[in-house]
Amino acid sequence: MQTQLNQQEGQAAAHRKEAAAANSILVADCGSVLTKVSLLGLVEGQYRLMARGEAPTTLAAPQEDITRGIVQAINEIELVTGRQIIVDGHLLVPEQLDGNGVDVFVTTISAGGPLRLVVLGAASPTLTDLVRQAVSGLYAELHALPSPTFSASMAAGQLSQPGSTPLPGVGPAPWTPERLALEWRRQIDRLRELQPHAAIIVGMADGPTGATPIQEACQLLLNAAHEQREKTRTFPLPVLYAAAPQYVEASRRLINGAGEVMRLDPLVSTANLGPISMAASSLYERTILRRLPGSDTLWSWSAAAPVATATSLSSLVRFLAHHYTMNVMAVDAGGANTTLLLAGERGEFIPLVNAGIGVGSGLGELLKRVGSQNISRWLPFDVSDEELRQFVLNTMLHPHVVPSNQRELHISQAFAREAILLTAEALRTGALSNFSPDLILATGSVLAHAPRPAQAALILLDALQPRGVTSLVLDRTLLFQQLGAIATVNPVAAVQVNENDAVTHRLGTCVIPYGALPPDQIALRVVVEYSNGRQVQVEVMSGSIEVIPLRLNEQALLTLYPASTVDVGLGPGERARAAEEIDGGLVGLIIDARGRPLMLPADKAERQARLLQWSQAIGA
Amino acid sequence: MAYPLGWSVRLQVVVRRERWPGGSRAGAVALVYPGQMVEPDQPVIRLKHEERHEELSDLPRLSLPAVTRKLPAIQPAGAAHHLNDTGTMLAVPTLGEETVPAGLRGRVVDVTARGGVVIESQVVAVQGVLGAGPQVAGILTLWQALGKGNSCSRQPIPPGAILVVPGPLSFLLLRHALNSGVVGIIASSIFLRDLEGFLHADLLELVNSPNAEALQSRLPPLTIMLTEGLGSLAMPARLLQLLSCYQGRVVLLSGWTSVRQRVLPELLISLTAAEAEALPAQEPELTLVPGARVRICCGDYRGRTGEILSLFLHRQRLPSGVYAHAARILLEEGEVIVAALSCLDRIG
Repeated sequence: MQTQLNQQEGQAAAHRKEAAAANSILVADCGSVLTKVSLLGLVEGQYRLMARGEAPTTLAAPQEDITRGIVQAINEIELVTGRQIIVDGHLLVPEQLDGNGVDVFVTTISAGGPLRLVVLGAASPTLTDLVRQAVSGLYAELHALPSPTFSASMAAGQLSQPGSTPLPGVGPAPWTPERLALEWRRQIDRLRELQPHAAIIVGMADGPTGATPIQEACQLLLNAAHEQREKTRTFPLPVLYAAAPQYVEASRRLINGAGEVMRLDPLVSTANLGPISMAASSLYERTILRRLPGSDTLWSWSAAAPVATATSLSSLVRFLAHHYTMNVMAVDAGGANTTLLLAGERGEFIPLVNAGIGVGSGLGELLKRVGSQNISRWLPFDVSDEELRQFVLNTMLHPHVVPSNQRELHISQAFAREAILLTAEALRTGALSNFSPDLILATGSVLAHAPRPAQAALILLDALQPRGVTSLVLDRTLLFQQLGAIATVNPVAAVQVNENDAVTHRLGTCVIPYGALPPDQIALRVVVEYSNGRQVQVEVMSGSIEVIPLRLNEQALLTLYPASTVDVGLGPGERARAAEEIDGGLVGLIIDARGRPLMLPADKAERQARLLQWSQAIGA
Repeated sequence: MAYPLGWSVRLQVVVRRERWPGGSRAGAVALVYPGQMVEPDQPVIRLKHEERHEELSDLPRLSLPAVTRKLPAIQPAGAAHHLNDTGTMLAVPTLGEETVPAGLRGRVVDVTARGGVVIESQVVAVQGVLGAGPQVAGILTLWQALGKGNSCSRQPIPPGAILVVPGPLSFLLLRHALNSGVVGIIASSIFLRDLEGFLHADLLELVNSPNAEALQSRLPPLTIMLTEGLGSLAMPARLLQLLSCYQGRVVLLSGWTSVRQRVLPELLISLTAAEAEALPAQEPELTLVPGARVRICCGDYRGRTGEILSLFLHRQRLPSGVYAHAARILLEEGEVIVAALSCLDRIG
């Protein structure tokens, strides 16, 4: 066994060595809607993006093979570069003397849907939240099914406390044996409806219900398996056991053939999240990625095992935060998932993947969560609920379509705002409240393909609502998601492509004053000193957006004079002068004095007029 | 969502389908064995009675379409849909001893764990864009609208039939069809509010559920397939013509639509050996090339069909401002438009 491991490690090391000396690297990102492929190559000693191709992801029938979409995207690159990469349906590796082929191929994947995970046993809100934290960096959907006895006990305990409110979903009615039996039936139905990929059993046996919740979790799995065996779905289900350790063997015996029990440290605090996160990650690879149609071919092509796109993006964000000693935030507005990653200059890292919430197939869940009013509030025109629902349904059925007219574009961008906002809200009360990003990286087709860079900038400002001074970078080449995976085989290539090609679409520096902005008065006076000595002074009114020209590759010194109640990061009324020159961008220097939190006018006509005004001011 | 069988219409294709009438808890006994040849109207499954859990259910439970008694036949094509008392074996949904007809002509290749029967058959396949309801078998019947002044409530609709409605559906027409005992309906389009009103269901949730197949059996017992989607789009003349050729046949219709499981509704019409021989066997080609027949699936021209005249080498700026690969399309109505490739489904 040890020898085998050593051999595998040796092969992996050899692969890494080959990859590190690669002339050319082909990297594919298989999204739920589109597959993006980029060709990187050495140009005058530096790795550069040479070409990229895009094609619909081909997981669905009739193609049902993820490599078909990759090949179509590669064909686009072949057409542009004249380099032959696919020969007889196979990847030509390594690069040939005539320049055809590539040395290394790596892949990231966000297609295939999320890992559906159910939390069983003594699934209290606290423990469920801990599990949620553990899987927050994965494409995972979490559903809690507390054991009936545990729910009854919690309800009884809560109701005995004056002024307490019942647990969500747990009614105040007494827990009679009949009600327990009904709850039992409801949970089996729910389990069948959810069709989970895996279960996690949590809870210690020191509560008033003892080991009963663990026993009931096992029994629930047994019953569900018994029913499912007669139907189509196959058991055993992977079961992560993170409950009372003394009952692990008893649980294993009880579950028997209905589940494959994997023992983990009992989940009691945030200190136990690591093993759960790793186990869930491994399950994701085993039950989602490895089961994608065409995965065998894909794995055989790849120099390193394909990784989840969110994992790859996480690597990049952490690297940038560490390398540049700054707070970095990344947002990926995908078709099926929305991802928000925070990496601090001191090594802090908070990932949040909002699985199933997106601007393609995730639109249905998004609309359900936020409601049509929250979508229409971002639109400068009237829209009916039915039109929105029809848009959602059409997009879900055809997630690869691009907006064909202005109305569709506005609606899709309104959904993008809400997808990001919803994800940011989940972090707002905790991690995000004190996190002040120096750099915001934005990726995802809806942002990258925005007709004007200012549209992407406005979406980010509306949805993330940053404060102080920050920089916005748009990933128009859709490379960010791939750079983390490239770094695993060739870190030099990742760094060079990032600096040379990925961050070239800088939208600009943003100044976002906050605090008590005086209504209809000047919130901020901005003085910009350009490199050529020219000086511009702008007074920005509360409630408005201003753009000061500062083009890409231009730099300037910035001085901010906020009103006495207004803060730009140093305290109310404190003047701020940048120690270093700030960078320009495709939009320019953006001053967003609309206030934080951003309040949209309640009156529809006024709101629509204001949206148009902001849009025109920023150049969207 | 690409058509699972390649194109929206396949004139001759061999499919394997599990005959299963829906309902995740219903047990079933197969009445046939692997290797056996079956006819479309032949009972192949006997359903066990469902366990009752009404006290838990928040949705109405409905009986499954089944064979229980002889039904009147439908007059030959061309005649109005008046009924007589002789003929076919297909029946309206009812409780009691329930058997399920094959819906397909072909060979039984498997019996599944839940009692479903997998049949291999050579068929004409028509795929819809959106639908609802479990798999049903019935007699394909063309609904001919009466002239102006006649309300749809006076239009006779044969029970046990799968009705083809050339134009858009309405809530009233759906109710009328349901009350008449029709088991399935194929139409071009419907407004979302009408469809959801009829189904008493949130369509977005229905197509996005992880267990969408099971939910189909909780819907009203009328399976629906829309060939064009939502709105008020007409059915292409060539599709209507094709369906009219098979009027009176026992066919298999499924309305199950799932974004997660990538399933679209479909109508399968089994071919006789002679028909299969006469029809051209053609593998669907999905590449968008000049000459390809396409359907536009988004924007102002959604639902229209046409032919690709040429492809642009460079990305084109769409009216939305987005740059995308695009093609020039000659619509069936004669208009030439530019559309993004991502908005095109190849249909022939």
